[in-house]
Amino acid sequence: MLPPFELRRPVSLAAAVDLVATGGTPYCGGTELLAVMRLGLASPETLVDLKRVPELVGITAAHGEIRLGARVTHREAAASDAVRTHAAILAAGAGLLGNVRVRATGTLAGNVCFAEPRSDILTALLALDASVDLRSADGARSVPIEDFVEGAFTTVRADEELLEAIRVPARSGPSAYVRFAPAEHPTVTVAVVATGDGCRVVVGAVGERPELFTFPGTGDVDPTAIAERVDITEDLNGHEDYKRHLTAVFVGRALEQMGVADA
Amino acid sequence: MPELDVSTTVNGRPVEMRLPTRLTLADFVRDRLGLTGTKVSCGMQVCGACTVLVDGDPVSACSYLACDVDGREVLTVEGLADGGELTPVQRAFVDCSALQCGFCTPGFVMAATALLRDEPHPTEEQIAHHLDGNLCRCTGYLPIVEAVLKASRAGGIDE
Repeated sequence: MLPPFELRRPVSLAAAVDLVATGGTPYCGGTELLAVMRLGLASPETLVDLKRVPELVGITAAHGEIRLGARVTHREAAASDAVRTHAAILAAGAGLLGNVRVRATGTLAGNVCFAEPRSDILTALLALDASVDLRSADGARSVPIEDFVEGAFTTVRADEELLEAIRVPARSGPSAYVRFAPAEHPTVTVAVVATGDGCRVVVGAVGERPELFTFPGTGDVDPTAIAERVDITEDLNGHEDYKRHLTAVFVGRALEQMGVADA
Repeated sequence: MPELDVSTTVNGRPVEMRLPTRLTLADFVRDRLGLTGTKVSCGMQVCGACTVLVDGDPVSACSYLACDVDGREVLTVEGLADGGELTPVQRAFVDCSALQCGFCTPGFVMAATALLRDEPHPTEEQIAHHLDGNLCRCTGYLPIVEAVLKASRAGGIDE
């Protein structure tokens, strides 16, 4: 049984921001929030349903970037031509996470705000050097994903701020996304993106938050060195040695997928 | 207890009720409408036993607010068979013995129905990926995949 709460259903961004500014908790797919409410880990007095806010809908590609509104579901992102073309690893992660029901209802914005350490979305967004737009009653700001997530389940989003959109630089160079998920959540996620001026490798799920490693080029990526350096949190998914081993294996597989020799 | 007026369609039937905001879709269809075909097992949207369709999309009714179906259409397993005539998906589950205890079956049937609506001729790999979030402890899954393939060959979701 869920704890009792007021459910508000604003139909404009301004109304939604006002409700969040006065103590409401943003709510859309509910795939994370309702689960923690059921577990008794959260009992917000007011949920602000974003599903009727027109400004938060849709995926647009313009000015060299892709903008995903806060209402965009994982399934929408995975099926989007713009995302598949210009942020292929984000489409891959969104198409694999959770299960078909979570992908149909859960949103990328909610996933990012929840900051689950094993988030496929955060791994992909960090590799893509994405940022998030936050709006409050007082103004708006943009924060790189790298700075947005502080640790497991914690972000710099203030309670009175609403995540309005995720912005991803459009990239069409080589990239790869691989994961190992023997159960509902992955044990390791790896994203690799070759950019004009280097190579970004992100290892997720093994620690408190996805971790970024940068190299001059894809040929310089050393899976063993990454596995030795990455922060590991031991949990039911495995011991430290196991997770370091998996990290090296899956960074290697990501490089293979990109066609990097000697991976 | 906070409540909202909800106007929805369940299995083609209009329903208007005032519902507690904290009521889940699973409790709504089971307790308020008597549609107990939808099963609740894990309560954490992991097992898929409670899968129903909202505007054609599969959702975990255990973790979905009943108030969120306001203005939308719900399809539960009871809404499939037309006057006792099974759909191709239901018929294939029977023919392939794709069930034993049957507790997960309504969820699988609804998930498979959603798949065939989007992808009338899925590959085995697509079926396995789509049904990845539905758990069955009896069959070992192979008869279920076989049933979905058979339903696909038999015309998918329609006769």
